[in-house]
Amino acid sequence: MEKPKEGRQSAARLFAYFRPEMRYVLLLAGAVTLAVVAGVTAPRLQSQVIDDLVRGSFEEIPGYLGIMLLTYLVYGVMTLLQGFFSARLSQRVVFRLRKELFDKVVSLPVSTIDGHSHGDLMSRMTNDAENVSSVISSSLSSMFSGILTLLGTVTMMLVLSVPMSLLTLVTVFLSVALTRGMTRLMRKAYVRRQTLLGAINGIVEEKVTASRTVTAYNLQEETIALFEKTSDDLRRTGIFADILGNIMGPLMNTINNLSFVIVAAFGALLTLRGQMTVGVISAFIVYSKQFSRPVNELAQMYGQIQTALAGAERIFELLDDESEDQSGNEAFEVTRGVIEFEHVNFSYVPGKPVIQDFNLRVEAGRKIALVGSTGSGKTTIVNLLMRFYPVDSGRITVDGVDIREIACSRLRDAVGIVLQDTVLFTDTVRHNLKYADPSISDEDMMEAAKLSYCDKVVEGLAKEYDTILSGAGSGLSQGQRQLLTIGRAFLSYPRILVLDEATSSVDTRTEQHIQNAMVQLMKERTSLIIAHRLSTIRDADLIVVMDHGHICETGNHEQLLARKGDYYQLYMTQFEGNAT
Amino acid sequence: MKLLFRYLRRYGIWALLASGFMVAEVFVDLLQPRMMATIVNEGVLGLSSGGVPDMELVIRTGIWMLVVVMGGALFGILSAVFTNITGHGCGNEIRKQCFRRIMHFSFEQTDDFTVGSLITRVTNDVTQFQQMIMQLIRGLVRCLMFFVGGTAALLSLDLSFGVILSVAFPVILIDIIFVVWRTNPLFTMLQKCLDRLNGIIQEDVAGIRVVKAFAQEKTEKARFEKANRELVDTQFNVQMMLSFLRPVMNIVLNLAVVGILYVGSIQVREGDIAPGTVMAAITYISQVLNGMMMLAMIFQTLSRGLASAGRLQEVLDTPSEIRQEEIGSKEDGSHGSVTFEHVSFAYADNGVDVLHDISLSIHPGETVALIGSTGCGKSTLVHLIPRFYDVTAGRVLVDGKDVRAYDPVLLREKVTICLQKSELFSGTIRENLITKEGSRNEQEMIRAAAAAQADEFIRQQPEGYDTPVAMRGMSLSGGQRQRVAIARALLKGGEILILDDSTSALDLRTEAALYQALKKDYAHLTRIVIAQRVASVRTADRIVVLEEGRIVAQGSHEELLACSPVYQDICRSQQGEGEKL
Repeated sequence: MEKPKEGRQSAARLFAYFRPEMRYVLLLAGAVTLAVVAGVTAPRLQSQVIDDLVRGSFEEIPGYLGIMLLTYLVYGVMTLLQGFFSARLSQRVVFRLRKELFDKVVSLPVSTIDGHSHGDLMSRMTNDAENVSSVISSSLSSMFSGILTLLGTVTMMLVLSVPMSLLTLVTVFLSVALTRGMTRLMRKAYVRRQTLLGAINGIVEEKVTASRTVTAYNLQEETIALFEKTSDDLRRTGIFADILGNIMGPLMNTINNLSFVIVAAFGALLTLRGQMTVGVISAFIVYSKQFSRPVNELAQMYGQIQTALAGAERIFELLDDESEDQSGNEAFEVTRGVIEFEHVNFSYVPGKPVIQDFNLRVEAGRKIALVGSTGSGKTTIVNLLMRFYPVDSGRITVDGVDIREIACSRLRDAVGIVLQDTVLFTDTVRHNLKYADPSISDEDMMEAAKLSYCDKVVEGLAKEYDTILSGAGSGLSQGQRQLLTIGRAFLSYPRILVLDEATSSVDTRTEQHIQNAMVQLMKERTSLIIAHRLSTIRDADLIVVMDHGHICETGNHEQLLARKGDYYQLYMTQFEGNAT
Repeated sequence: MKLLFRYLRRYGIWALLASGFMVAEVFVDLLQPRMMATIVNEGVLGLSSGGVPDMELVIRTGIWMLVVVMGGALFGILSAVFTNITGHGCGNEIRKQCFRRIMHFSFEQTDDFTVGSLITRVTNDVTQFQQMIMQLIRGLVRCLMFFVGGTAALLSLDLSFGVILSVAFPVILIDIIFVVWRTNPLFTMLQKCLDRLNGIIQEDVAGIRVVKAFAQEKTEKARFEKANRELVDTQFNVQMMLSFLRPVMNIVLNLAVVGILYVGSIQVREGDIAPGTVMAAITYISQVLNGMMMLAMIFQTLSRGLASAGRLQEVLDTPSEIRQEEIGSKEDGSHGSVTFEHVSFAYADNGVDVLHDISLSIHPGETVALIGSTGCGKSTLVHLIPRFYDVTAGRVLVDGKDVRAYDPVLLREKVTICLQKSELFSGTIRENLITKEGSRNEQEMIRAAAAAQADEFIRQQPEGYDTPVAMRGMSLSGGQRQRVAIARALLKGGEILILDDSTSALDLRTEAALYQALKKDYAHLTRIVIAQRVASVRTADRIVVLEEGRIVAQGSHEELLACSPVYQDICRSQQGEGEKL
């Protein structure tokens, strides 16, 4: 079982979420209390009736039955209300918890999100939130009513007969001890089963996703053998774990019956001695059941609550992460698009500099290209310009203003960006293209689609602009997805356009057309292009060759060729150096 | 349903044993209230002996009761054991069969089902199905026994109790039907809401840069809030429906108890029955009604399980399309020739021809490059060679034999394809390279890795060739992943090597070195290369230019440069001044 590190604090913090819902908490408490009182009183009445039956005093019975009827009605209505209030309460709390969590994730700095594995973030937002929510919704009222029932039942039993109460308690504790022992055993088996289930899911996910590779390499039989082995293991562990789980029922049944026999036998004995009435026996039979149920439930809940608290802790950890600093001048308007890097230094990991003393001035309306081998820091420059990461020292200015003094929203509105990863959202093509601003007209959208050459792609889709794209790509090739993301960036009409390997999977002719369109679109605007394909960057006004975070050469295509430096080398491998 | 019977038949004996022991367990449970009645009536009240309590009878019956209870527990445990053997056994078999079937699906079939849905079927649906089987064996038997046995026991105590049962029964039945009827669609909706919510989280976490770059945090928050609201509302509705079940049941149950007491009091007054009998009757009626309550739960599992069984059946009923066909076509003895004869192809989902009347013949040992714009059908064309898809018209021949006449396994031994998306598996780099254990030695592996320009960076990894590749290769960079995938392809061997745009993430120098190494060390292979860069293809023996699914030109770099306008255009796009070459 997973144990929370700071159980008490986390529980307190979780409880704080209930504070704004005081109305429902009180209503729930009221309903639970009434239900428990009714539930505890009813068996007492039942025992009266039985006693009357035994004594033969039938006149009082209808009266008692009337009261019983009333009590049970109260009990029923109250449990109904209890269900209603606890559902309302837990859903409201879970809604807020989930909303806070998501809002937090969206406002975290990119650096924090890069620092977590996506799987880990996902699991906190789904599994942990789900765990907390299910415990809140399922255990809340049962815990409440469990404790109250326990108190009420013990009181009633003690009132009826002290020795019988003690006897009942013995069997109850027997069952609690058994439950705890069994759950410990079961937990181990369940953990093993869960691991295997995870392994099975992993295999299926990996192999079915990569079924092309599996088929292409004739690995079907090997894959099937691996799967069958894990599947067989799962079967064995599953049988063991579930048998343990299923045995609980009969064992508890036995203990319940044992307590029944004890109650009956000793009850009879006490009745024989005249210390008790038969009606009390019948009441005790009900009470002993009523008593052991919440005790067992609470014992089982203990584990769930621990797991949920551990989950809550991970959620709080995330909530406590610092949000992105988006502050700055909200009214700033990027008008020209002059970018300047001044003595910029940056490292992702302290001691391993990625950008060193980087100086570059990009005039408005120019097309700048960054080239260099993998790991030379090209993408990092984009991360810094977008304020995804803060510079370590030096500064970046846009139109002469330090970007730290421009509100993130203003800065990012002004910069259109197309990234290496072609992120598209599960929604219509139209929504994806108009992502920057849904109020853009359809005419403008189609115009941008034409310019970015994705209009042909869209025309090939079943419902054209109303086709819903699925996350996986719905049959679009990587190149086609890239065209869509370029269209999306065009539609945001940016002052500064950044293309980070945006056309790597697009053929060079289509790329050429897009570039021609860009010349029109980006007239008097600034573009920054990152690529390793030289055809992409050849027409740039300024080509910046980077190596290990430094600029080693700048100039236009002809100038750089004439220098016969690094750029010349790159160029030669592309056009002549390959001739062997 | 078909599925259910097929598997239940194989595990019939275990299922029967499980049900048998369950019947025995319930029988014992039903015996107890009667014994209790004896203790109260005869022992405590001494009704048959004229009001003299019989302590000895109490003890004796008590001991008997304990023995019976222990027996009940034993039956219960045995029933659990056999039920689990049956349930997990069936689940395991169907899981294995489905997976085997999926592994032999054609790509079109996989695309039709979608990967996500197949994963859910093999995992979630199997679990649901398994649970349904276990519920049927245990739960249903138990419920019916309680229901029938409890009713019989109750009526055998006194027929007048039947009146109460006949009133309570329909009320509960209506309640159950109502709740099941209302909640079932809600469960489907709940799952959809949950999927949507998780989808948004997944997308936004993965695409956080785009969200932020477009400053759309507010939009995403609103989108999430809407999905969150829908989920919470649906969850609330489900909980409300379910919470209707229990209190109503409780009210009916308790009213029935009051009724029993009332009827019982009349009977006792008339001297027809003893007070102990009334107590036993109360126990029986709660058993009967509890049995019905369990039935409601079972119906839910059953309806979900049947839906799952249907989805599994769909997988099992899908015949593998890619099969060796009996067409008179023989190999011509060459090693590594590929011929396309008037090939046309359309994907099944839209029926639009992607390839039109392609004829092309590639000789053993030749290097052929395919070039053309995005979406022109290059990948589709090469996918026909290892028979990932079947042609719509025409034929594809490998070594003179129609690919459809090959055993698919043998065909794919001859044809090695390195895909655009380099899918690596979890495990070490070595495990990824040597796909079949024991088939290749260390030297061969290193030779392939070196040719793929991967040896150097693999050696720099913390554990060299034994470094684990994270899930789907996320810890290696795109270029490194591609090189590992190429090394894997080289190591696999075969006669025909297809590189489907699999060097796109390599920088120019690395790519050049790779092609050089291929030429030197793997000259015997027929190489078919798809690439975007002219530099990658210009050294090929022959370059084939595709345009909108048709071959528009073929020849050497120089020939094409001289006569193909499309090729000239491509070169110009990559160089600006084509004449400079």
